[in-house]
Amino acid sequence: MTIRLILRKQEFHLEEKSIQVKQALHQLNLSPEAHLLVRDGELLNENDWLRDGDQVKIVAVISGGGLSRDEISGEAGA
Amino acid sequence: MTTMLCHRCKERAAIRMRQHRLSLCKDHYLEWFVEQTERAIKKYHMFTHDDKILVAVSGGKDSLALWDVLWKLEYQVDGLYINLGIDSEEDYSDESERYSREFAEERGLQLHIINVESAYGRTVPQIARKSRRGKTKPCSACGMVKRHEMNRIARELGYSVLATAHNLDDEVAILFGNIMTWQTDLLKRQSPVLEAADGFLRKVKPFCRFYERETAAYTLLSNIPYIEEECPFAEGSKQLYYKEMINKMEEDQPGIKLAFYVGFLNTKESGGFGDLNGAERNNELKPCPKCGQPTTNTGECAFCKMVNNVE
Repeated sequence: MTIRLILRKQEFHLEEKSIQVKQALHQLNLSPEAHLLVRDGELLNENDWLRDGDQVKIVAVISGGGLSRDEISGEAGA
Repeated sequence: MTTMLCHRCKERAAIRMRQHRLSLCKDHYLEWFVEQTERAIKKYHMFTHDDKILVAVSGGKDSLALWDVLWKLEYQVDGLYINLGIDSEEDYSDESERYSREFAEERGLQLHIINVESAYGRTVPQIARKSRRGKTKPCSACGMVKRHEMNRIARELGYSVLATAHNLDDEVAILFGNIMTWQTDLLKRQSPVLEAADGFLRKVKPFCRFYERETAAYTLLSNIPYIEEECPFAEGSKQLYYKEMINKMEEDQPGIKLAFYVGFLNTKESGGFGDLNGAERNNELKPCPKCGQPTTNTGECAFCKMVNNVE
């Protein structure tokens, strides 16, 4: 009974027969605001079920660089 | 728990947006996303079909989604990719350029490419290492290079509007950071539209009301390949820290991010911040004698000083 979840170069295994997306994210301590799950090319919603044997891709959706004073000022070259 | 259904057609939903109490299937989500972008463009009077728009693309999910949506809405839109020379295990900048090129080629769109190393003799990390603003991390120097080059190219090539794909999570992180440090001058300029002035092009953010997971969902559901690798310098950044913290609040209070940002814009517009109203540019700008870009400096602009090591 294994569900494989892959986030970039990390791989997680959940020993469950079935589990809802939101519960899987909670178990992995991943924010549902910051992660989407894709199975066989299909985007999953938070109520969808993962099942034994599934291989699921976790897409991290949050990106961001530095926030310094002139990074956020919106001006060029000033 | 029952299956989550699309509010429009009752088929299985691909995504739920708790802040809008709305679930949509793939087709209706893609339709909704384009409609909402058009709505933001009109609401904030960003541009019209007569404008010549340049979209800043990074090869990432947000900017390619923005270019795709503006193209679908039949605006006159080209792309600009700035290769910063950021190296990593996966050749971050070159890979990002490849995704941007492929996106443009598939749709027959025009992509302008600037390579910082070819143009200025050094990559952004190399420029930053020699600069007072990039001793530990190149993010500040990188931001300056991007802003300078975006404005320069857009002006030289005759564009009327520069569009960036800042999403609501970006805007909220910026707003939060500016409030935490009471950067009132920066609060004044934070807006979906920054008007053109004194050599600066009009800048717009058509995605400013989308959550970051929504732009990602659009890109995934549209099958747009994009660079999933994060910039190697982003790790540990303040922006990611703020986003993570704000998302924890969002999990408990759906809609708090949207309310924070929209509340800020509404309060500003209604005069609630007194002299913080309006997205004004600095009025004391003069052209840099070296590059011609506007600057508040007496003499060369900060960008020219930085790339020439004379800070």
